[in-house]
Amino acid sequence: METMVIKVMQIILSPILALVVGVFFLGLARKIMARIHWRYGPPLVQPVIDIIRLFYQKSVSHGRMFDLGIILSLAGSIVVVLFLPFGKICPLSSSGGLLVILYIMLLAPLGIALSGGQGANPNISIGISRKLILSLGYEVPLLLVLLTIMTRYKTISIVQVVNIQQSTGWSLFSLPLFLSGLSYFLILPAILGIRPFDIASAPQEISSGPMAEYGGKYLALATIEHAFILFISIALFVNLFMGGAANIVVFFVKMLVVFVLGLCINAVFPRFKIEQAIKYLWKWPTLLAFVGLIITLMIK
Amino acid sequence: MELLLIIAFGGALLTYILGKLSPHIRDSFAVIISLVLVVIIACLYSRSVEKTFYFGFFGLGLSLRLNMLSWFFAIAISSLGALCIIFSLSYMKGRERTNFYYLMMLLVNAAMLGIVLAGDLVSFYIFWEIMSWGTFLLISYNRGAALAAGMKYIIMSIIGSIAMLIGILSFYTRYETLNISEISTLIASAPSGYILFILIVFGIAFGIKNAVMPLHTWLPDSYAEAPSPFTAVLSGMLTRMGVYGFLLLMYVIVGLHNVITPRLLSYHYILAWLGSITIVIPTFIAMLQNDAKKLLAWHGIGQGGYMILGIGFGTSLGVAGGIFHTLNHAIYISLLFMSVGAVQYRTGGERDLNSLGGLIKKMPIAFIGGFLGIAGLMGVPLTNGFVSKWLIYKTLILQRSPFLAFAALIGTWGTILSVYKFLHNMFLGQLPEKYEDVKPVPFSMQLPIIILSATILLFGILPGIPLKVINAIGTSFGFEPLNVTIWGIASESGTLNTINIFSALLVAVIFVWMVFRLGAKSVPVSQEDSYAAGAHTPVDKYHYTAEFYNPLYRMIKPFLRDLIDEFYYWIASSVRSFAGGVRHIYSGDIGYYVTYIILFLAFLIFVQLKWKPW
Repeated sequence: METMVIKVMQIILSPILALVVGVFFLGLARKIMARIHWRYGPPLVQPVIDIIRLFYQKSVSHGRMFDLGIILSLAGSIVVVLFLPFGKICPLSSSGGLLVILYIMLLAPLGIALSGGQGANPNISIGISRKLILSLGYEVPLLLVLLTIMTRYKTISIVQVVNIQQSTGWSLFSLPLFLSGLSYFLILPAILGIRPFDIASAPQEISSGPMAEYGGKYLALATIEHAFILFISIALFVNLFMGGAANIVVFFVKMLVVFVLGLCINAVFPRFKIEQAIKYLWKWPTLLAFVGLIITLMIK
Repeated sequence: MELLLIIAFGGALLTYILGKLSPHIRDSFAVIISLVLVVIIACLYSRSVEKTFYFGFFGLGLSLRLNMLSWFFAIAISSLGALCIIFSLSYMKGRERTNFYYLMMLLVNAAMLGIVLAGDLVSFYIFWEIMSWGTFLLISYNRGAALAAGMKYIIMSIIGSIAMLIGILSFYTRYETLNISEISTLIASAPSGYILFILIVFGIAFGIKNAVMPLHTWLPDSYAEAPSPFTAVLSGMLTRMGVYGFLLLMYVIVGLHNVITPRLLSYHYILAWLGSITIVIPTFIAMLQNDAKKLLAWHGIGQGGYMILGIGFGTSLGVAGGIFHTLNHAIYISLLFMSVGAVQYRTGGERDLNSLGGLIKKMPIAFIGGFLGIAGLMGVPLTNGFVSKWLIYKTLILQRSPFLAFAALIGTWGTILSVYKFLHNMFLGQLPEKYEDVKPVPFSMQLPIIILSATILLFGILPGIPLKVINAIGTSFGFEPLNVTIWGIASESGTLNTINIFSALLVAVIFVWMVFRLGAKSVPVSQEDSYAAGAHTPVDKYHYTAEFYNPLYRMIKPFLRDLIDEFYYWIASSVRSFAGGVRHIYSGDIGYYVTYIILFLAFLIFVQLKWKPW
């Protein structure tokens, strides 16, 4: 009974924690970007203020799928969080492992795409087209990286990957997996859709792409969704390459380091064109991931 | 069991005769026949019978055989057949030659049942040929381009049949029996060279049927040109007779221990690689299609690759995944073709993705069918496609074949791109003015769509139901049994628990929905009322769908020409020009023929005088 209660508590608490961290990262990102631009920047809690304000504002709806898509997308992200171990907490660890995580992560862009699809706005269509092409671009190295990890540790369970690392050390510092880790780090901005890979949203160009028709609570949900995506992609990196963590605080410190590092490196680049992005993603990160996989196969 | 086939074939003929009297009686009779078949087969569950019913065929017994494998395929064939017949009722109404259409539909169904129930290779071959020719007639039903597509199909099919015939004859000369179970005991002592020969000749036949690269070229045209309800049968089960064939060949006739060898260049390993190639290339070609049915057809090839990959890989998880994927694929691809069929039915046969759009509000049921169909095709969790793909991925990863796994996974991502385009361009986006008054399709077309959609979710959330049967099939092949529970698979190296995922997602959706309801109310607006960042919004349709993935097209198109198809066409055209050359010899003038005969005799006499061979 007691374990049951703890489990339920974990299931309720972990998405909330993820949301807090994700929103904090959103605020931090704006602050850091502003400082790089020699601006003062908005306060750290600005995203929270925005979300609350948006919930009370009027919005337009283009139909059933327009509503359902965004709900599905956000729900999908919440479920992914339940599958990710952070610290020692992992509520749904034994339900399918990395492959399931990989697939549920699909729901987020798919929901947005379906929702935007009913928006019937050319900017949305362009945005979705770019988003899907970009995701095909980064999935090639990402899949290679994940396969390398799973082949190396002979498991498809992410909890086991973390456990093995805690006894043998970070996989980021072992030989073949270092290449994979580097590759993941290089594609991280593409997964997050931050510079120079903000092709899909591109506010100045196609008025935020898939989100062009969103206002009010839709935009609020989309922002929350973005916070979750930030959390998930970085938490996955920490779990796979930096050995997870013994407790939540260490885990968040690791996440913070990865995030700030990624942001500072990429903030100074101008936006890619979609073709340039694909060419980049399919060149260096893929090559690194590929070599990593070959070496992993050779050393048995 | 003979009764089953008699009903199936007799029903087909009787339907034709009744159709001459009244189309209404014919329609209801066709539905009844197909439903009766489902019921009979369902009653035969977990029985194992083998019966010889006829001895006269050159001293060979023709026999029927029922076991778990054939039951599994038979129930899938008959259920899908029944649904497609129901779907046809409205779809084919008012067309010409409907009697012929129903006759052929039921005949093809009966022939497929015959194939999976055949206990010897002669009856297998006979049913196989009935199926191929029935298919040819149905593909070319619409005439015009369909005739060419049918021709392409039948030529490749005949090549396959000839390969199979060679295999059957070699069995006969070697063992003097064609009974499948007798052969499977006799072949155990055969030399490995002979086994390889058998595997290759039968492999060509089944590979053509299942459209494994490089034997796939008949498929896209045939799927696109056949009438939609038949395309559902064709893609769902008929093409998958190739999978049945491979299972029969590899694990029943030749046997597990002769097929699965640890050598790197073994047959099953090459088959798995062919499967993975078959996944990747067609999926990316599908992305470039603008014709709804062609897009699905290329996916039909690609998904066939998963089955071959799983079956060829030859682990208990892989084979289970391959068989399960066959069933899942049958469900969602026929659902998708029905969905396209429904759209075609209401839009005057339109299947060009660039000129449709916004139909979600007009045809909600067809949209739900399309949505769940593509979800299954992608393998989104909680749809059936996910479970079978998960099984295949897992075994590939744990058996250290990450490159095969990579091919399978990247195929999924390619699928996402192309099927999103499929759904978006048909149902989402802006509704063209000419489709303002489109109505939903009649109930007889909605019913199969609803049933298949429900099945996708049912098998996705409770995969244990079919997996139990599949596990029994796997055990009968000699694989280790899997630890199947009703909601997934338990094992040390990673369990799957769909009920957990389902409840988590359900709770999350309800929670987000409540948050969504709490926010300020949204105002419904029309599709013209959209935001253009201050720019002028044109009043007419500006659905941005044409060349949806244009940037990607430009990058990958040079690599994706269907070179194999072009190669076959080159062969065909060179054969034609050679035949044209030959025709000059046959001038039709009797004098020439006399000259030829005299020359030939002179040649024979010359040979006889010179070398004295006779």
